[in-house]
Amino acid sequence: MLIVKLAFRNILRNRRRSLLTLLSMGGGFFLLCLTLSMTEGSYSNIINIFTQDHTGHVQIHKENYLERPSLYKTINHADEIISQLEQQPLVLGVAPRIYSPSLAYGKNKTFPAQVVGIDPEREAKTTHLENKVNEGQYLTRQLANKTNKDAYFPAMIGFSLAKNLQLTIGDELVLISQGIDGSIANDIFNVVAIVGDAGSYERMNVYISLTAMRTFLSIAGDSSKVHELALILSSQSQARKFAASTQSALKNESLSVDPWQVVESSFYKSMQADKKGSYISMGIIIFIVSIGVLNTILMGTMERTREFGVLKAIGTRPLAVFTLIMLESFVLAIISCLIGLVLALPVCFWLASVGISMPEPIDMGGIIFDTMLGEVSWFVVLLPSVVVISSTLIVSFIPALRAAKISPLKALQAV
Amino acid sequence: MTTQVNITDVAKKATVSQNTVIETTHLCREFGQGDTLVKALTDANITIERGEFTAIIGPSGSGKSTLLQLIGGLDNPSSGDVFLDNKNINHMTGNELSDFRRDHIGFIFQAYNLIPVLSAQENIEYIMLLQGVPATERNKRVDNLMHTLGLEGLGDRRPAELSGGQQQRVAVARAMVSKPSIILADEPTANLDSKTGADLLDMMKELNEKQNMTFVFSTHDPKIMERAKRIISLVDGCIVADERRS
Repeated sequence: MLIVKLAFRNILRNRRRSLLTLLSMGGGFFLLCLTLSMTEGSYSNIINIFTQDHTGHVQIHKENYLERPSLYKTINHADEIISQLEQQPLVLGVAPRIYSPSLAYGKNKTFPAQVVGIDPEREAKTTHLENKVNEGQYLTRQLANKTNKDAYFPAMIGFSLAKNLQLTIGDELVLISQGIDGSIANDIFNVVAIVGDAGSYERMNVYISLTAMRTFLSIAGDSSKVHELALILSSQSQARKFAASTQSALKNESLSVDPWQVVESSFYKSMQADKKGSYISMGIIIFIVSIGVLNTILMGTMERTREFGVLKAIGTRPLAVFTLIMLESFVLAIISCLIGLVLALPVCFWLASVGISMPEPIDMGGIIFDTMLGEVSWFVVLLPSVVVISSTLIVSFIPALRAAKISPLKALQAV
Repeated sequence: MTTQVNITDVAKKATVSQNTVIETTHLCREFGQGDTLVKALTDANITIERGEFTAIIGPSGSGKSTLLQLIGGLDNPSSGDVFLDNKNINHMTGNELSDFRRDHIGFIFQAYNLIPVLSAQENIEYIMLLQGVPATERNKRVDNLMHTLGLEGLGDRRPAELSGGQQQRVAVARAMVSKPSIILADEPTANLDSKTGADLLDMMKELNEKQNMTFVFSTHDPKIMERAKRIISLVDGCIVADERRS
């Protein structure tokens, strides 16, 4: 109690200096909090847009499908798995998909295309594909499995493919691929929509219904065979945990449940590398703040050397002197965190809800970012607190140790 | 080596009088080495009994303060021993020495050296807080001393709000409040005007006589010498005279 009283009185003794130190440390906290909020918010935003664009938060495939995709690596009885997954409260949507690399022919040209068989309604719940329809009409369930007067299934095609093949709504599209039975799969489809733009993921894709795809690839037998199940969760941060729990819940070792970090590992790794870059700039902020704190603590202890000599001469133990200085620093750090928090929280909330509009939207792999958003979370608040408090205690350690170890006589003789 | 030292300590304890507060044996303190070696204190053998009012006098640089610092455990001797209450303080660890100073020695410094962020009352109370003395006992002792030293009404003032004489009286109260075996005062009147100094000395003399408290001063001040029961004279680090007065 005596040490606490002394610590508070010492802080209040040189109010101007304490205030400047508090402002410097509080400013450091504010900058750290803001940088972290922007970094985490921007990445969360990017991840949300990225995963909701087509990947989803979790994907299920046949084992090794991601490394070596094959027409024959299918998930059997997908309907059962989907109904099982849809009962999970965390799951917002499950999109089954069948993939087939094909040749697309339209008018007089042929181009390679990725044909994707989808459940239009489930896909719309899971990704933003429906919102990407530029022209025509999205495949509804009624439209998807209904052939036209010539018995052609409807198809949505990517913007670039449509441009290359010079196709518009109502035109015929010929797809050629390999059937699952080894036969040559070929069929004519009716273009009902053009999706995405020149930079988007689906620019060279063709979307048809699962029924149309199974017919096209001659998939017989199990009517619910698919290559992929893409899941969207209510929180992307739960992806790893959910993938792991689902993997064990499925009790099927031939299936692989992966979070988006594994599915899009190159994107995730580049994001992590970029994050490290921003941590370096945060480290520089901490360093500058720490130098200021070190200066204050050093000045405070040097000026009071004689006083420490008196305290020790009249019987104060070295540990008590050490504790006194560390406590003063700790109190300063706590108050500065509170000041920083009061300044940072309103700004972080504003950034999280409104954000900063970019003068020019950025196109990242077809995903448009037009607003930089912040984030308010325990991580954004606690990390700067831990960093400010621990860096303050670290820089205070040497002056505190020096004061604790100095001989009372030397300290009393200090000018 | 440790065993030898302990045997020496025990033997020493057996021979010294129960009334002896301080005993120094062949106490030496040297600074520097080689050509720059300075002998601040040479072979000082002193015994101070309980209740003495002793002045250590001598010209500047004669070793008065060094002797006081060695007795108070603020400095370590180059050779020799200091026995305080029959305990060899040179063999104590840092914490033991801190606790020993807290419980057995009261210091009065030339520059008062009060804690500036504590009030007069808190400065006096400080050592008792370290000792864990209960609040009622603390208040009683503080009130008594403030009354004795004429500090009534000044308890809430910080050192900066007190005159030099008042600050030194607070320092005396702080030194006495824990009822130490000895009070070491290093030129306590040097920063005071002659009347304030004389008044303070009279108070200390009264406390010495009434409470049988042991005082050892290092001083140039003739007023202290007049009042001292014993005067130890130092010249160039050597004790040249040890005069007791009736």
